[in-house]
Amino acid sequence: MTDQTQYAPASAFGAEIRKDPGDTWTLVLVRELRHPPAMVWEALTDPAQLAEWAPFDADRNMATAGPVKITMARTPKPTFFETAVKRAQAPSLREAGVLEFSWGGSDLRWRLEPLGTGTRLTLWHGIDRRFIAWGAAGWHICIDVLDRLLGRNPVGRIAGTDAMKFGWQRLVSEYSQQFGLETRSETPNLPAQQSQES
Amino acid sequence: MKIKITTVYVDDQEKALRFYTEVLGFVKKNDFSQGPYRWLTVASAEEPDGTELQLALNNNPAAKAWQQASFQQNQPAAMFFTDDLQADYERMKASGAEFTMPPTDVTASKIAMVKDTCGNLIQLTQLMWKG
Repeated sequence: MTDQTQYAPASAFGAEIRKDPGDTWTLVLVRELRHPPAMVWEALTDPAQLAEWAPFDADRNMATAGPVKITMARTPKPTFFETAVKRAQAPSLREAGVLEFSWGGSDLRWRLEPLGTGTRLTLWHGIDRRFIAWGAAGWHICIDVLDRLLGRNPVGRIAGTDAMKFGWQRLVSEYSQQFGLETRSETPNLPAQQSQES
Repeated sequence: MKIKITTVYVDDQEKALRFYTEVLGFVKKNDFSQGPYRWLTVASAEEPDGTELQLALNNNPAAKAWQQASFQQNQPAAMFFTDDLQADYERMKASGAEFTMPPTDVTASKIAMVKDTCGNLIQLTQLMWKG
């Protein structure tokens, strides 16, 4: 495994926020990956690969619809959600891949479209507006880690407070700015020892 | 080793924050989110570096069942101490708090019970006997 200290995220890019009907917001994040949809699909559904990059673990392969237990990675207290994969459509030559599931109270959808020999990966994440830039920054880092995993150059999962060591705060302020959100209100109010680590 | 945090399960963290700060009078201490997870704690305004109360979402069946059973059995989810129960009672009533028990004399103390609007009963205690 490559030393994690080698990793530093690029500037914020490829994200927007949309207001849904009602009072909820969706984060939309688009990434162009070098690897084909079938490989990306495996990484999004296989528990062993999720453990290498995702901010959660799944108790089964997520490639089929139905109940799934999702355990959050590195939360201050162990936290899991008894939830469900709503839609799982593996990518094929003719059709884009779609994976949709609820993650706690929020809905998450991936779309995998072929892009040359690679994949255009789109994420829709229904998320509280106050934490939307945090989410964008977190996914930015997670998808970078996913990309390195697919490139057989894994750096290991970066989730929770780990992200603080990898430019998460900078990403939060960049995304806040791009989304036109007040950065001050987005400043995390973290326990003292965790702030000192960053 | 220190007792630094205790938890109450709530059915709505935003509503809980309003009750525990605006009605009860605590102050927000930590608030951060990781995806659908939100770590939210409050502390006493009189003792901001004292024990924290975590307002945890009751998003699993065990937490929900425990919370509901406790409520039905009239068991408080947490107990806070005050030096002037009557004054706090009046102040919180004025802020719209719903008490299930007004200040009542019991052994060595005066207690009251209030709904936290998020599925719990909270007991307020004033010690009357100082040994």
